[in-house]
Parts: sequence; C-alpha cells; structure tokens
Amino acid sequence: MTTTSTVAKAGPSPEGPAETNVRRSPRRIDPTYYWMVVPVLALFAFFITLPALVGVFFSLTNYAGYGDWKFIGLSNYVNIFRDPAILQSYIFTFVFALTTTVVVNIVALAIALGLNAKIKWRTGIRTVFFIPMVLSALVVSFVFNYLFSNTLPVLAERFGLTPLATSILANENLAWLAIVLVTVWQAAPGATIIYLAGLQSVPAEVYEAADVDGAGSFRQFLSLTLPLILGYLVINVILGFKGFLGTYEIIVGLTGGGPGMATQSVAMRIFSGFTGGDYSYQMANAVIYFLITLLISVIQLRLIQRRGVSL
Amino acid sequence: MKAAVPATLPSRRSLFRVAGLAGAAALIPLSGCAGHAGQQNGVTTLRFMQNKPEVVNYFDQVIKDFEALNPDIRVIQDFNEGNFVPGLVRNDPPDVVTRGFAKATADFVKKGIFADLSDLPAASTIDPEMQELISSWGQYNGNEVSALPFSLAAAGVIYNRDIFDANGVAVPTTWDEFVAACETFKAAGITPIYGTFKDSWTLAQGMFDYVSGGSLDTAEFFTRINGKGADISAGAAESFTTNFGPALRQMLQLVSYSQNGASSKNYADGNAAFAKGQAAMYLQGPWALSQLVSANKDIRVGTFPLPVTNNPEETKARVNVDMALSITRNTPNMAAARRFVAYLLEPSVVNTYNEKNAAFSPLKDAPPVTNPQISGLDESVRKARYYQGAGTYFPPSVPLHNYIQSFVYSKNGDQFLAALDDEWRRVAERTAV
Repeated sequence: MTTTSTVAKAGPSPEGPAETNVRRSPRRIDPTYYWMVVPVLALFAFFITLPALVGVFFSLTNYAGYGDWKFIGLSNYVNIFRDPAILQSYIFTFVFALTTTVVVNIVALAIALGLNAKIKWRTGIRTVFFIPMVLSALVVSFVFNYLFSNTLPVLAERFGLTPLATSILANENLAWLAIVLVTVWQAAPGATIIYLAGLQSVPAEVYEAADVDGAGSFRQFLSLTLPLILGYLVINVILGFKGFLGTYEIIVGLTGGGPGMATQSVAMRIFSGFTGGDYSYQMANAVIYFLITLLISVIQLRLIQRRGVSL
Repeated sequence: MKAAVPATLPSRRSLFRVAGLAGAAALIPLSGCAGHAGQQNGVTTLRFMQNKPEVVNYFDQVIKDFEALNPDIRVIQDFNEGNFVPGLVRNDPPDVVTRGFAKATADFVKKGIFADLSDLPAASTIDPEMQELISSWGQYNGNEVSALPFSLAAAGVIYNRDIFDANGVAVPTTWDEFVAACETFKAAGITPIYGTFKDSWTLAQGMFDYVSGGSLDTAEFFTRINGKGADISAGAAESFTTNFGPALRQMLQLVSYSQNGASSKNYADGNAAFAKGQAAMYLQGPWALSQLVSANKDIRVGTFPLPVTNNPEETKARVNVDMALSITRNTPNMAAARRFVAYLLEPSVVNTYNEKNAAFSPLKDAPPVTNPQISGLDESVRKARYYQGAGTYFPPSVPLHNYIQSFVYSKNGDQFLAALDDEWRRVAERTAV
C-alpha cells in the first residue's frame, strides 16, 4: 500500500494534474484508498466476521435457533467427537475432496493439452468444453440425477448389462462415485482454463530444442511441460481441494445425502442444524470444520510460498 | 511504530465515522422490514400464516367472507411457513398461525410461543380424541391448549379398485389377508406395492410409520423413551432395539412385495406409475391423491388402513394434524385473533375445507366422509383407531429417513435400531441440559 501510493497517479484527476502534484507529498496516502478499503472491510466485518463470532458464541450454548438458551460450556464439542454420524461425514468429505481433486486435475490437464495443440475447430471445441462452468451446479446435478436414475438403467437393461440396471445413486457404495463424476464434469473447465494459461506461457523454443535432442512427446511432457506448469498445478490443487471440501449443492441435487447416510458432507450436516433445531451443536461442528480448513489453508499457503507461486 | 504514522493520515476518528456510516447503511434495510401490522383507523390488521400453499385460494375466500362479517378486521394471508422462525427471532411473528403439528411445533409449544385457547368456545366443539393428538406432545404449563386441530390427514394403503376387482381381491382386514392379497397379485404378474425408495421420506411415512404404528402404541412408546432422557441404552426396556424388532420384519416383507428397481424411483415416478395402473397398492397419504387423479383422471382408488396384526379390531390408520390453529402469545391483537380463529372453526368453514381436501374434520359432529378415495379410513378415524407416525416424533436433527433407507437396502435391522438408540441418546444428551 505505502509503496504503490508514492507512484505518480496515472491519468488526469478531476482537480487537474498540476494541483495533485502540489498536494502530493511522498508520505501522504491518498484517502481514496481508504474509501476503497474501509467500506468493504466494514461490510465484511458486519456481515461475515460478526455473524461468525455470534455463531462461535452460540456453539457454547444449547440454543435451538429460537427461544431460551443457556451456557453449556464445551459439551457440544465433546459430543461431536463422540458422534459417529458426524465423523462419517468428515471421512466422506475428505475422501471425496481428495479423489475429486486428483481426477479433476488429471482430466483438466489432459483437456488443456488437447486444446493447446493445433487441432481443427480449436475455438469451437474450447467453447464446448467451457459450457459446464457456466451452468449452475444445482441444474447440472438434477439433470445428471435424471440420467442416472432413468436413462442409464433403461439403456443398461436394453443392452443386458444387469449390474448397471439399477441407478448407481441408489447404491450406498457407489453413489459417491456419481457425485465425483458430476463434480469433475462441472469443475474441470475451470481448472482447464488455468492449465491452458500455463501451457501458453511455456515458450515454443524449449520444445524445439527438445525435438532437436530427440525427446519423444511423453518425455517432453514429463520433463518439460510438467515442471514448467507446476505452479499452475499447485494453484489448481489448492483451490480445487478447498472448494471440494465445502461441497453441497451437487450432493443435494444428486442424492440428498443418501442412500442411507452414505453421502452426507460436512457442509450438509452443518446446514441441517438451521432447520433441525440443532443450531448450537452444528455451530460447534462448523467451528471445528473452520479450524480444520484454516489449518489446511495455512499449510497450503506455506507450500505455495515455498514454490514461489502467488495466488 | 508510533513515529512512523504520518501526520497527514485521515484521523482515526474519521475512519470510525466511515465505518459507522457503512454499518448504519447496512442496518437501515433490516429495521425497514420490521414494519408492524396493527391497528389503523379503527381497523385491526391480522397476519395469518397458513402452512399449505396449495389452499391459498380457499383461505382467500374465507378471509373475504370473514372481513364482510367483521368490517373492523383486515386479514393478510401469508403462506410462506419459512417466515415463521425468522418472525420469532425478530419478535414479530404472525398473529394467527396454522402449522402441521409434530415434533417441531411441539417444541414451539414447550417454549411458550402460543397463547392458551382453552377458554375459546370453539375449543369445546372439537373431538377430544383429536385434541389429544396435540396435547399428547406436552402442554405448556401443564394445562394450556396451545393449538386446536383444523384438519386431520389420515393415511393408509392407497389401492387401485380396478386391479382389486379384476383379481377378485377384497380389502384385507388382517395381516395374513394382506400377505395373501400380495401373493395373489404377484402370481398374476402385478406388482403388489409400488415402492419409491429413492425418496427416503416415502419409506418413513409409508412402511416405517404404518408397521410400527400398527403394532405398538407409538405415543406411549415415545412418552416412555422421552421420560428416560439421555439414560437410554440399547438393552433398556424403552429402547428402539427392544420395541421395534417385530415391526422391522414386517417392513422387509413389504419391501419384498415392491417392484424391482424401486430404489431408483422417487415420489413423482411413483405417482405417475401408480396412476397408470402399474401396481395394485401404494403406501402414501392423501396428499398423493390429487397427483394420481391429475395423472389419470379415470383412476378409481380407495384407501384402507394397513392391518399389521391378525385382529381387525387392532387395525389403525396413520394420522397427522395437518393444520393446527394457534395464536401467538404476544400478539397485540388478541381479541381480533380470537374472533378469526373462532370463525375458522365454524362448521361451514372447517368442514368444507376438509371435505375439499380429502381430510378429516376435527369437529365432534362432523358429517361422515363420503369421498370414496378416503372413505375406507373413516371408521378408523371416527373410532379413534389411529396413531401419529413414529417418524414424526423424531427431532429433525436425527436423519431418520436416511437411516430407514439404509435399513431397507442393507436389511440389517440390528444395526439400524442400534443407530437409532445412539442418535436418540446423543440428542437427548445435548438438549436435556
């Protein structure tokens, strides 16, 4: 902030350039910056920080969301650690987030490599690949819900593939794979854009040199492309993982947390507290989840700094 | 650090002023929407929140008639039930409310949200057995009447009369007859029961509530387990494990009479398929009837209570108080609100509503139900052979529907009941404090 403010103002100001030069001492900070930052800060504090603190406060009570309440200390937190349903939702969420991150990045990198190559109709194909990003996740998941429950079983039956004849959304062991699939379908374009940017930043000369040295295309990918776009990979992994930890709407649209308890994500459990008269308990859950994600973010930021990538 | 602060920085006070302004700007819309309905020019304005968006037109007419008779009262209808809790939080709830009466509303009663209606003359016109459906959840101060039933929905087995007639099957009155009917349909290549397992709530309100409600006294069971509080273990006499075992075996039998692939069908699929005659029976409540008729206007359906024992006298219907009338305790318009509630409970209003909506009137001298779609339940309702579904007693924080679905797929009853006992104990632990 202090360094940028000393840079001469670009473009004319309403008072005219001459006046600003007079008024501008090198130590003075233009109040405009405060006008930019402070209202946002105030709104953020009022609408995000303050409610979050209120939530932390109520996590120490037995508040149902309305009516009387009293302090109960840390017993909500103690109870969460003894609640197998909550623990299961944590396991599901982390397994889901890890798997999805890996798959999204493999798929996105593959698509980006293809779209970066000199293929026919490149612009048109790029557009097609980016459409999923524009669609609302909830809409996408309802469409896939229909495909999984109706279209796919009918097709499977016609071709005699009996194992596929019942919806995989109804299978407790496989339903999460459907969620991974839809999430990947939805999230891959975003990652692809970042990878494309990365691939375009790699100068063509290095490939020419590799060609001269006689390296095959797989070798080129492994020894040139991958190291050169590693920063983009790190960004994708971090942003993706963080996003997938908060997964909610795709699950709502596909399974609603079922079948049984198989696909209840942490975010869903937390949200159930608002409607379930379980406000303070799920608030405690939210605080724990916040601390966990905070820890992960700090570790990831450390990793980024070590790699010299900035977000 | 102190020395480094440049003198020309905007003073801290002006910064606070900016922050304060932003905060105030953020508050204005909040205070703006708390505008209060109340008295104006001698006309009292009541806010009436009802819980069924599909009957808005009926209540519009009721309100019009009421306002014509009571020119000093104006009633505004609100059918967005989701506004109720925010209204409580803002201390600005509607004056008159209808709600489905189950665990959530019972919790409001316990917190003293509603006014006592016991001295309302209309209260004495209500069938005491139906009033008991509400008071069995617990009364505020031990004797207050916080809600009066307005509409009672009774659910059982919806059956296709044409398929029953074509196969020479009579309405079963015992469990053995019911099983025999299922076998007859199966042998004839007809799906006995259409299952919609994908929507877990249909499993809860259907087979879980029917079988458990028919085979044990649910109200008594939940009174006992609530009395135990957090002190419940799987081996206790009050536990789910001890009481629900036989019901689960019958549930699995019902599952086995459902079509293949029931796990990928939802409620909408079920309505469409049953309306097309793809199954003989359907475990759904009266809310499905209008859907069935709109999918196939020629369908002839009836409803019978599911018999789960071999004694026809023990057969009971699942009921729920679909609409219960309450007045919020702190309303400034108590007199007007009481007049409106009294009007709603006049036979011409309440009986007509229930007749039109395939439901049962709570009045003592209501005429017998003639609607052929639900007349099969009339005897059970009039003789008070009914129960409120076990599922409705659960606190909403227990994902009961998911557990039931899980049980239907895994068929592991012990695990299911142990999970219920655990969940029940954990919720009791954290809410008992």
